[in-house]
Amino acid sequence: GLRRCLISMDMHHIEQSFQGIKRAVQAKDTFQNVTILSKSETLQSIKPLDVCCVTKNLLTFYMDRVFKDHQEPNPQILRKISSIANSFLYMQKTLQQCQEQRRCHCRQEAINVTTVIHDNYDQLEVRSAAVKSLGELDVFLAWIDKNHQETSA
Amino acid sequence: AGALAAPQNLSVHSTNLKHLLRWSPVVVPGGTVSYSVEYQGEYESLYASHIWIPSSRCSPAVGPECDVTDDITANVQYNLRVRATLGSQTSAWSTLEHPFHRNSTILTPPGLDVTKDGFHLVIELEDLGPQFEFLVFYWRRESGAKEQVKTVRRGGIPVHLETMEPGAPYCVKAQTFAKAIGRHSAFSQADCVEVQGEALPLAL
Repeated sequence: GLRRCLISMDMHHIEQSFQGIKRAVQAKDTFQNVTILSKSETLQSIKPLDVCCVTKNLLTFYMDRVFKDHQEPNPQILRKISSIANSFLYMQKTLQQCQEQRRCHCRQEAINVTTVIHDNYDQLEVRSAAVKSLGELDVFLAWIDKNHQETSA
Repeated sequence: AGALAAPQNLSVHSTNLKHLLRWSPVVVPGGTVSYSVEYQGEYESLYASHIWIPSSRCSPAVGPECDVTDDITANVQYNLRVRATLGSQTSAWSTLEHPFHRNSTILTPPGLDVTKDGFHLVIELEDLGPQFEFLVFYWRRESGAKEQVKTVRRGGIPVHLETMEPGAPYCVKAQTFAKAIGRHSAFSQADCVEVQGEALPLAL
């Protein structure tokens, strides 16, 4: 699992970056009754063994889809998103090393979780889906923080 | 008048995770040239290479220098570019030849003030901000003495290390630890102090 994978990293700075844009981003979310990361069922049910794979897949989800699909005109918000995106890139590189050492195995349960999230994303128009996923970053960050705390050496 | 010249000789000077982008000024007799600085993290260069982000402090900048510390926030490569503006004229962009990574920052040994307050060994370290911790080593300078280590989370405040006894000096040295990049500085020069007089009365 992630226990030996996610090198300790300053999550506080990423969370601070998100808090700086949370209100503005969530205000643009016009589908309040729909969720993509679905707090309760999806992430919370993940077992320690699957944490590394799910983290890697969700980092890819945000980098390949969310950050790319979101067009941000406001430079201040753009800076914060860029800071988060580049931190995610660094985290992904870190997990890459784990993968090469075969310590980031993807079981079907982990793949299912990622599939659900991609399916939720595809249900919405792409800009709306990107804004909603951006607004739910705190769910993902909290999940990383919790799983990293339990697993840091 | 010909096109406005683009800034030249871009370079980043980075010390203790403070990053300054510098370039040669564009000189136009009788004119006041200003500059715009933009950056692009490795994410943008890989996934959205058309995206450049205005620097948080220097759009515009009046002198040939820009503090990009707040823009360089992750352990990845950053591209930086500058252009000059004079009235309605704008130069081409000049881009930093090699991307910058904050891992390359120069870490200097911390400023260290070693004092005695009565029999107490007290130090104060240079305040380098929240990104830094300090490793402090101290020992009683006599044969067989053991070196002690203490982690100090913040500079700029007095820290009590030890209650000293007369008869030998106490020495201290320190190094910084940059948490964001996981690197230490070199050690500061060791500094020693000694207390005179009788040893402390034993508590009865």
